[in-house]
Amino acid sequence: MTTSHRLHPVVKTRVVPIEADRAFTLFTERAGEWWPLTTHSIAGADAVGIRFETGVGGVVVELTAAGGEHIWAEVTEWDPPHRFVLNWHPRIDPVAASTLEVSFSPVEGGTRVTLEHYGWERFGAEAEELRESYEGGWEVVLENYTGNI
Amino acid sequence: MDPTAQLSALADPTRRKVFELVRKQPRPVGALAEKLPISRPAVSQHLKVLAGAGLVQASMDGTRRIYTVNPTGLEKLRRWVDDQWEQVLDTFEEAARREAGKS
Repeated sequence: MTTSHRLHPVVKTRVVPIEADRAFTLFTERAGEWWPLTTHSIAGADAVGIRFETGVGGVVVELTAAGGEHIWAEVTEWDPPHRFVLNWHPRIDPVAASTLEVSFSPVEGGTRVTLEHYGWERFGAEAEELRESYEGGWEVVLENYTGNI
Repeated sequence: MDPTAQLSALADPTRRKVFELVRKQPRPVGALAEKLPISRPAVSQHLKVLAGAGLVQASMDGTRRIYTVNPTGLEKLRRWVDDQWEQVLDTFEEAARREAGKS
């Protein structure tokens, strides 16, 4: 009865057919070009872009049609084109942030991208913030929250 | 995959703390109350919500009720988070393929 129940990070990998430096840039500075903003953002259909400030201390910000900004994360480690780490807290107190680590390694035919998300159980906090921000109950909350990662 | 119950249960910061304490080590209500600035009945109430969401479960140790993590509910939440990143990486991969086509 003394076993600690550790939460392993969510880990996802993909191999993409471009070199590591291009993959790194595409994932970070150019995130606004491909990120599924409609479904994975705070403003949903009103989200128009992402500003990804490179380097330690830089913030990752969602931009809205009305000129608003929602901070998603801060860069805590920056080692292009190998790896970056974010303090990930869309809509929640940064104290309760989870950690997102993305690394890039050259493989035959391209680059292996590995995404690790630690502390993912704190997503509940984001959902609560959204419940306060949106009316219409959980259906609406989840619809918008889906984008909140 | 709808983790509404789990998300809702973990939304409350105090309840999240109760859950994290149980996760670190299975404990009875009293031991949890000692670690938190809330009353024992309040801890019980949080445990009830967490149990209802399938995140913790109670087992008997003699006459004591010990709370442990329920892996089923946690796994449901994990799979949902995993699926969210799957969708993001899908679009990244598509963009990378388009990028490869350009060069």
